Amino acid sequence: MDRLRTSDRAAAEELFNACYPRLAGWVRRLVDDDDTAHEIAAEAFTRLLGRWSRLDNPQSYLYMIATNLVRDHWRKTGRERRALQSVGATAVADPAYHPAQDVHVRELLQALPDRLRSAFLLHYYAGFPVRDVAALLGRPEGTIKADLFQARARLRAALGESDG
Amino acid sequence: MADPRDDLDTWMRAQIQPLPPPPGTFELIRKRARRRKMARAAAAAASAAAVIAVVATVPRLVITQLNLGPGPASSGAQVGQTSSAGAHHHQRQPSATARPTPATGPASSAPPAAPPNFAATSVTFVGTSTGYVLGQAGTPGHCGPPKPFICTSLAGTGDGGKTWHGVSAPVTGAAKGRSGVSQVRFYNTSDGWAFGPQLWATHNGGQTWHQIDTGGRRVTALETAGQRVFAVWADCTGTGTGWAAGCTGQALYSAAPGSNRWAPVPGAAASLNLNGTASAAALMLTGSRGYLLPPSGVLVSGPVSNAGAWAPVTGSAAPCLPGAAQADGQPSGALLAAAGTSGLVLVCPDAAAGRVVYTSANGGRTWRQAGTAPAVGTATSAAGTSTGSIVLATTAGIDVSTDGGATWTPAAGTLPAGGFSYAGMTTPSQGVAVPADSSVHAVWLTYDGGMTWQESPIK
Repeated sequence: MDRLRTSDRAAAEELFNACYPRLAGWVRRLVDDDDTAHEIAAEAFTRLLGRWSRLDNPQSYLYMIATNLVRDHWRKTGRERRALQSVGATAVADPAYHPAQDVHVRELLQALPDRLRSAFLLHYYAGFPVRDVAALLGRPEGTIKADLFQARARLRAALGESDG
Repeated sequence: MADPRDDLDTWMRAQIQPLPPPPGTFELIRKRARRRKMARAAAAAASAAAVIAVVATVPRLVITQLNLGPGPASSGAQVGQTSSAGAHHHQRQPSATARPTPATGPASSAPPAAPPNFAATSVTFVGTSTGYVLGQAGTPGHCGPPKPFICTSLAGTGDGGKTWHGVSAPVTGAAKGRSGVSQVRFYNTSDGWAFGPQLWATHNGGQTWHQIDTGGRRVTALETAGQRVFAVWADCTGTGTGWAAGCTGQALYSAAPGSNRWAPVPGAAASLNLNGTASAAALMLTGSRGYLLPPSGVLVSGPVSNAGAWAPVTGSAAPCLPGAAQADGQPSGALLAAAGTSGLVLVCPDAAAGRVVYTSANGGRTWRQAGTAPAVGTATSAAGTSTGSIVLATTAGIDVSTDGGATWTPAAGTLPAGGFSYAGMTTPSQGVAVPADSSVHAVWLTYDGGMTWQESPIK
């Protein structure tokens, strides 16, 4: 088993120091509490270290993992919420903890298809250029642009409906 | 009904609040990754043993039947090979000497050294340890990849300027006319901008850079504080190294630090009407408010939180005007700074007295003459600290006032010939200055409030 070399460890720690707070903050806007955000950010870094020597762009990889982990979290909490609601309990998360707008948009994001949601989060939220998102998701740039357009249109339509 | 665009745009633009890791998180992650690797290795070994057992058994059976010996197991390609750093990133310049970047080098070891012949034009610090210097380095024709004649380089420090290492820079040249960059600012270790005249942004600590479309306008000033980044976008006609000259139309734009969505600052546009007069504008931010001194001399102020519009300061009439731009885009006339908890400082050139210092305790509504700074050299930059000190960079050196501008003391230390083009204070005690002569390949640092400065070679 090869452990991280000292120099790799220094580089990994540097990346951790530089990226963790923002990644965790990024996740925090998508989940219900700080603990879950830390859990997801830490898991993303754990997986990153597991592939450290094979990665060309560690930061992109981090956000890609985090996006998938957030999606899994949403699925899981959605199931739990439905289960709890079915026995008369209240929702797991406390929506009051967030600004209403955050929760509202987040719920709409959860409802987007995976294909649109990943592109949307990586581009508009994580700030990756379309070219990088295309490389990350393995899709042509034109497709990503179309997905982004569609995601925005769906979100706007949903927001419009809920406002009305 | 509310505009559905509002919710979505506001949500997307909202700044991401960093969430620092709990203590020990990195060690925890490292151990967890190591445990998983060991588990995978054990599983792989068990699986390999099973395969070997099958290989050892099957050939024996085959030998019996076909009388052929088993061939040697074919060895697969080595796993864990890495591709070349930066192969997927067109919009970055690893360094003038094509060294890989620390963050993107897949199996990177120590951070790459700063490129040689580093001619610094701008410096920025985020905290007392981490800082970045932008400039031209290396030898044109031997820079890059990807472009051997583009030598714009970035050096970073994580130890307060004791050592410097190479960081990826935007793939654009030195400031010339409407192209290139000459200045740098970082909001934190992730979000930074290279500007003057073009505008480039990074949101991953310099790993990748992308150019922001300013519609042909040149970015003559950029500062970041609070929860925003602000920049002056101007229509200029200056050519060559005079890229910030002849600016006759300006607008104040802002963005959330993590975003590339720049928009005009509400309320600021009306105050920037130049009536055809070419001039610079001074932009200065404190932790809570921003100030813009446009060519008209009527100070404009607003929050740095994106929570409201900017507006002219009632009754404001600055004692002097910004005047023409210096080479770095900063005014050659009025130099604006903040010192103390709420005081503003304006250093004005004066034909008789040389250099008059004014202060305002009411946000720029009224000004009083605080003193006169030494009339040696040309003033290039002014900076204040929260404790009220004022540091004035000139082409002759640095002058410091610890009493609000009343009296001044020349800074000590081995200072560069030609003085400084910029001085900034990170804390009341720590600051950094860029020499006017960039061929010295260094910046200068102070740790005692500007009283003494020492050279920090970028190498």
